[in-house]
This record gives sequence, structure tokens and C-alpha cells, in this order.
Amino acid sequence: MAAAELQDAPKRKKKVGAVAVIGGGIGGMETAISLAESGYKVYLVEKNPSIGGTMSQLDKTFPTNDCAMCTLAPKLVGTARQKNIRLLTNAELVEVEGAPGNFKIKVLEKPRYVDVDKCTGCGVCMESCPVQNTPQIPEPASFAATLAPDKKAAFDRILDRYPDKKGALLPILQDTNAEYRYLPEDALRYVSERLDIPLAKVFHVATFFTAFSLKPRGRHTIKVCLGTACHVRGSPKVLDAMARKLGIAPGETTPDGEVSLETVNCLGACALGPTVMVDEEYHPMTVGKIDAMLKKYGWMNVEKADAAETADAPGAAATTGPAEAAAPKEARPQ
Amino acid sequence: MTKLKTVADLEKLHSELAGKKDPRRRAIAVCAVPGCGAYGSEKVPPALREELKKRGLEDKVEVLATGCQGFCEKGPIMVIRPEDILYISVKPEDAAEIIDETIIHGRVVERLLYKDPATGQKVVHENEIPFYKYQTRNIFGPNARIDPNSIEDYIAIGGYSALAKALTKMTPEQVIDEVKRSGLRGRGGAGFSCGQKWQFARQAVSPDGVKYVIVNGDEGDPGAYMDRSLLEGNPHSVIEGLMIGAYAIGACEGYLYVRTEYPLAIKRLHIALAQAEEYGLLGTNILGTGFNFTVRIFRGAGAFVCGEETALLASLESRVGEPRGKPPFPAQSGLWGKPTNINNVKTWANIAPIIQNGAEWFNSIGTKTSKGTMIFSLVGKINNSGLVEVPMGITLRKMIYDIGGGIPKGKRFKAVQMGGPSGGCVPESLLDLPIDYDQLTAAGAMMGSGGMIVMDETTCMVDIAKYFLNFLKDESCGKCTPCRVGVTQMHAILADICEGRGTMEDLDTLTELADVVKNASLCLLGGTAPNPVLTTMRYFKDEYVAHIRDKKCPAHVCKKLITYKVDAEKCTGCGACLKACPSQAVSGEKKRSHAIDPAKCIRCGACHDACKFNAVEML
Repeated sequence: MAAAELQDAPKRKKKVGAVAVIGGGIGGMETAISLAESGYKVYLVEKNPSIGGTMSQLDKTFPTNDCAMCTLAPKLVGTARQKNIRLLTNAELVEVEGAPGNFKIKVLEKPRYVDVDKCTGCGVCMESCPVQNTPQIPEPASFAATLAPDKKAAFDRILDRYPDKKGALLPILQDTNAEYRYLPEDALRYVSERLDIPLAKVFHVATFFTAFSLKPRGRHTIKVCLGTACHVRGSPKVLDAMARKLGIAPGETTPDGEVSLETVNCLGACALGPTVMVDEEYHPMTVGKIDAMLKKYGWMNVEKADAAETADAPGAAATTGPAEAAAPKEARPQ
Repeated sequence: MTKLKTVADLEKLHSELAGKKDPRRRAIAVCAVPGCGAYGSEKVPPALREELKKRGLEDKVEVLATGCQGFCEKGPIMVIRPEDILYISVKPEDAAEIIDETIIHGRVVERLLYKDPATGQKVVHENEIPFYKYQTRNIFGPNARIDPNSIEDYIAIGGYSALAKALTKMTPEQVIDEVKRSGLRGRGGAGFSCGQKWQFARQAVSPDGVKYVIVNGDEGDPGAYMDRSLLEGNPHSVIEGLMIGAYAIGACEGYLYVRTEYPLAIKRLHIALAQAEEYGLLGTNILGTGFNFTVRIFRGAGAFVCGEETALLASLESRVGEPRGKPPFPAQSGLWGKPTNINNVKTWANIAPIIQNGAEWFNSIGTKTSKGTMIFSLVGKINNSGLVEVPMGITLRKMIYDIGGGIPKGKRFKAVQMGGPSGGCVPESLLDLPIDYDQLTAAGAMMGSGGMIVMDETTCMVDIAKYFLNFLKDESCGKCTPCRVGVTQMHAILADICEGRGTMEDLDTLTELADVVKNASLCLLGGTAPNPVLTTMRYFKDEYVAHIRDKKCPAHVCKKLITYKVDAEKCTGCGACLKACPSQAVSGEKKRSHAIDPAKCIRCGACHDACKFNAVEML
């Protein structure tokens, strides 16, 4: 038998362009989609009546605590829509023959007692089956109907700029983010409905790109550049001090909604480094210059600044406050 | 504005406009870009015009608000023609003096001249300054001669004549052949032959005839800003290159994909496209040749991985910017499944000069395998930060010491980081390495998009490796496991080493992980991610060992491994450190030496920076 196999070996070396993926869980689906996109015909074999695997039963996944369904749903849709994937559900692998690169598999498809070619998935059989509970598949309610008219009109103004739905999602989200300084949940739901893109996919895009925020950003933004040139010139120290003085961590907004502190990978102003950008203005920065800059914009954390001054000169603070000290000076010329 | 209907129309317009631009005429060119904006550069041209008007000279002297002229360290730069007098760090307040002295009386304003730090001599002319002397500014040079908002300026210096030549005197095959023979390699980093890439796209069959050409302006490498400077300073040169490429591969639609962090570049491109359209250089039957072409601008949404071509295509289609496996290559199945050709901004900007001057001209510059010039951003611990265009094959030593003017404050050079997060650190021993694609790859670094970050003795190499992995950890799209998990684990190990918890076995684990990440990742982001770690371990192993075995950071960067201490002999008791300390860790009476409480110290370094007597030591 071994000898026969060796003789067959050259023949079997010829590779054929179809791949079998066994198991339609998250790993199987991703593999199948990637292969199909690379141009392979894929047979995806799953023993259960539907794909999705164990992940569909999970709430969150380790280690990032991402919502399991948010990861899974786009893959389910992607697998079903991919023309290069032949789905074999309710089926089990029985036999493999051949060698890697050229082999045959035997698959047992279990009976469904339903003619798959004729079934349209209308659900009437389920409704009329006396043994089962009648399934309730409610018509998805229109989200647009629940939106306040002025809100809807505002969203429509952005959406109407892109009459061609193809490739419109990203520009629409960019415009929305620019207008609201974040992506309101209502906007995401409405965009999903009007563009006919699953909400999970819209959410995926909205959370992938750094230009988008799901939380309202401040009226002004301080961006500390963490590019390599700024890094070697001391930008981490600037960021630390800036966060300390504003009392917020990078990525956060001051409670009054005035300033957001953000980091950026490179502002392309390497000769100024470490560089800080306030809205559209560039500032060459050092730890020592932060106070002056924050004061210029009126963002110096007042309480903290006062505390620091008191600590500097305890004697002076006890007798005359800063305001009182300033008043006599002004009075003198009169 | 009349539409240019034929090539003769364009030639006529060119000679008209060029005639108006007498090279002997007085002109003042100032860079007016936000990179210089912190110094108020955009206010300089209006101030000059105002002063000229006051003296009734507004028609005699032309004021050009140009894009970046490269010498960013001393920005804004002003060049006064025809003498090519160069003034540095110009402010709006200097306008009156410049016009009275230089323009009216022909005298040089001494205080605005560049002073050569080596000789102490003041330098008057642009081409005498070491920073410019060794450069070959083929692509970047026109930046200083045109107003980026004016297509007329671009046409006056011969713009769009390469397009006219390609459309009327060459077949698409000849154009591809010319680009192939020129030896131009992709300037985005990987260095694939540009002509060959075009040929694949040309040969690919599209059932409905639709093909796309795309400018990749998603310049994500931190410390690299030449693409931005080209798009902002000379947008038409990129558009012209794109159109020639479109003609060569048979595309009639193009996209300019620009990073969202570059709002000015996007604005200038919008203006440029509108102008080209008005002249009939975009649209249908361009210059009467039957060639049709339209371009659209697409703003990125902030993801480093979108510089990878398949991820870029995904985001252009409004999908998540995740790369996919290749094949199929974009040349076969790109945007919306159509044959697509994507090149970097600098690659496109090279096309028009190649068509205009011929492959032999381009071929004569550079080394055996890398032709032409390359634009580098020379930044970090260097005296002359800025954008530098040099022939391929120049040595690092020449770049850093002759053009860059050496390391500031007399510090010692340690390494130069090349190629962004995918690249590596090149040590002092390799300073005489000629810079080209293959030599850099052999040294473990990469050409990348041309970022060149100089580091001195106060830069910690372990910290730099950690910095890049932190960057890549955040920017990994998460699609494939080796990159997502591998890079995160490598970063965790480096963080341990930087905080004094490292062991010698960690170095083996790092090497092993690097191997897996490099070989098993789906795209080049992961495939090159270990480079910063591998090169620093290869050339600076002693620093890793110092962190692990001695629990010391030789460069005094890693916070957990340094202690601040006051040198009692040097301390004068001025109280500057006490005032600067945000955590009340410094104590001491006036005029007596101070002390730092290590328990309260948060190691922010404020005291060290505040001390004028070098009394605060880092141990």
C-alpha cells in the first residue's frame, strides 16, 4: 500500500483550486472568506443546521471584552453572501481521500425533510406546526419614525450630500463627526437604516478609525504630537504635564466640555518638536511653556493653579490673596 | 479663463505666462505653511504686500507665498530673487526693513542671514548654505518657485507639458517602457518597480473597461512629512503624474487619498482640481486628444494601516481598513473589483520629470539598483531639521553632518531611525553606508517613506523600540493573530525591561516572537513590525543588558530606572526646582542646598529642567 502511495505521489502533486473548510464557527468563516476573496472556491462544512458556532452563544470575548455578536454578525453575512463559498450545513465529513493539494472528501448531508430548492424561508410551516410554539418574528420597526423631525432633517442634510450609496458610509460618518464633534448613537442607527448597512458594520467602521469618537469631544482640542521626532525631543513629558495640569487623561474631555486632550501620531511639524496643536494652531512646546499656553487660552485649571501659588509662598497667601495684591498696585498712580 | 482645446493652446499659454515671469525680475518667495505657522509664516506675505503697496512697488515686485522650502529648522525661509538672497526665521515685523534695505537699496539685512555654525560666517546666497549645497532638488525644487494655489505658476514653469508629450507623442506602451527604463522604484517604502506595476495594471482586463489610478497620500510614518509638503506645495505635479499614469494603464478615474490630519493639503488639492478642470485639463477630450479623466479626493479617517494598499482600498469602499491576502493584487482586482494602480505621492511626482527629460536623465542619478533622488525628512536630534532631497547613494554621514549640520548641543550621535515603525535603527558604525533600497534592507532598516530620525546619547534605544511597538500595537487592525497578539506581547516584554522587571530570557523570547510575527502576519504592518526591536537588539544589545542586569537606563530616559538627586555642592538654594516640582518632593530652605524625596518624586524631570546650575543629577 505504501508503495502504491509513492507511485501516486507525482500525480497528486498537481494542486487544484478548491478548499474545504471544516466547521463554520468564527475561525472557519474567517478562513473561508479570506480564501474566497483570494479567488479559491471554498466548501464550508458545518454539522449544525446553521453557521456561527459557539461564539454566537457568548456575550463577550476574551481578552478585550468585545461584544461577541458584533464580531460575528458581519462574518455570518459575509459568508452567506460570498459567491465563492458553497455552504454545506447540517452536514458532516465522512471520508478524505488523496493528499494535501489534491484530495476528495465525502460529505454526509443530513435530511432536512424540506426541499431546499423550493423553500423560500417564508416561515408559514413554522407558524402552522402544532408541535412548536409559534415563532414571533416582528417586522423590524423603522428607526426613522422614532426620530424627532428636526434631528432627522439634520441627519438627512448630511446623507443627501451622497446620493450614491456605494462607498458613502465613511464620508457620511466624517461629516457627522465634524458637525457634532462625535457620532451620536441615533445618527449611527439612522445611517445604518438609510444606507441599508447592518448596524454592526456601521459600528465596526465607527470604532475602527481614530477620527471618530462615540463620546462628545470638547469645543477645543489640544493635540500632543507623539511622533518619533517629538518623542526623542521629550513629548512624553509634555503629555504627562499637560494631563496633570488639565486634570484629565489623554482621550478625555474636561467636565465643562471645553477642552479635549488628545494624542496624535505625527503632525508633520517635526522641526518645531515637541509640537502641540490647539485647534488649528501649532505651538512648539516644553514642560515649562505649558502654563503660559493654557493661560493664553484661559484653560488653566483655576483651583490647581491657586493651590500651587499658595504652596509657593505660604506667608504671602495668608495675608493678601492674589487679587488683593493686584488691587493696590493699580490704585497707586491715582 | 479659456479652455485649452489643443496642445498648441497649452504651449501658447505656457509661453505667455513664462514671458511674464522674467527670471531677472524681483520676486520674494516665502514659505507659508502651518509647519512654519508657529512662527507666524502665513502672515509674512500679506505684510510684505502691504509694505510694497505703501511704497508704490506692488507691481514691480512679486510676492510668492510658497509651500514648504525644506529648511524647516530656520523657517519661515525667504528667498529674494534674482540674487537668491536667503533670509531665515522671518517675521511679519521684518517686512518693512527687508523692503527698504534689500529691495530698494540692494543692501543685505545682516541679522536675517544664516550663520554657518561651523565657521561662524554669515551666508548670503541660498546655494552656498551647506543645507542646500549638497541637495539635488528635482522634485522638491519647484515648491520654492510657485504659488501652490496658482495653476498658472505651474504652467509657467513647464507644467502639464509632460502630459501633453505623453498624450500626443507617445503610446501608453511607450510611456510604461520609459518609466520602466528609468528604473523608478515605488517611493512608498517597499520599492517595487513602478513601470512593472503599471504594466500589470495595463495588461489586466476589465470587463466594462473601468480601471482606477490612486495617489496614496496616507502618510502615516511618524516623523515623515514630505508627502504633505509636496501636496501642499506643488499639488499639480502629483496630479500631472497621476494623469500620465492613467493614460498609460488605460484608466479614466483617479482618487487622491489624503490623510485627514492634512486639512491644508486637502484644501489645496480641491483648488488645484477645480483650476485644472476650468482649463480643460481634466474632464473629457483633454487637449483634444480624446483622453478622458476625472479625479476625486478622499479623506482618510485616521488609521495607519490604511497606507497598506489593500487596506486603503477597503476604506475607499467605506469598509473597515483591514488588509486582505494577496493575490489577487490590486492590479487585477482593486477598487470595486476593477484593475487599480496605487502609487505613493512622491512616485507620482517623479513621473512628469521622467517623461519630460527622458529615462536616461533619471537613470543617470543614483546607484545601480536605486535610481533618481529621494526626499527625506531629517528630524530629531539634528541641527538642521527639514526636508532634504538627495540622489540615492549618498552616505548617512553626509546627510547628518554636512546637510544636517550635526547633533545639537555638542552631544554624541547614537543612531538614525529610518523607515518609520517598519524600519530600523542604523548605528554609528554604519554611517558610511550609501543610502539605497537594498543597502538599507541589508542593514535591517528600510527606505520606508523617507523618515530619518536622528538620535543622540540621550535617547534610550530600548525606549525607542518600546515606542514603536506601542505605536504598532495601537495601529494593528487586529485581523490576524500574529500581529495583534504578537506585537502586544513584545510590547509587554519591552515595558517590563524598561521598568526594571526584565530577565535575560526575555531577549530570547523577543527574538522568537519577532520571528513568528514577521513570518506569519498577513500584511507588511505585521511583517515589518519586529524591525525596530531586532535592529536595536542587533546594534545596541549592551543597552538591553544594562536595563536588565544593572537596572539602569544609560540614557536616563526610562522613568522607573532613574533617580533624581541634588548635588549639594552645586546647589545654590535658589528654589527653582522646589517651585517647578508638581508633587512637593523637593524640600529645603532658601540659600541652602535642597533635597529630593524619592518617595514623593514622580520623576517628571521638571526640577532637572528648571535648574540653571546642573545641580539636579539623574542617576
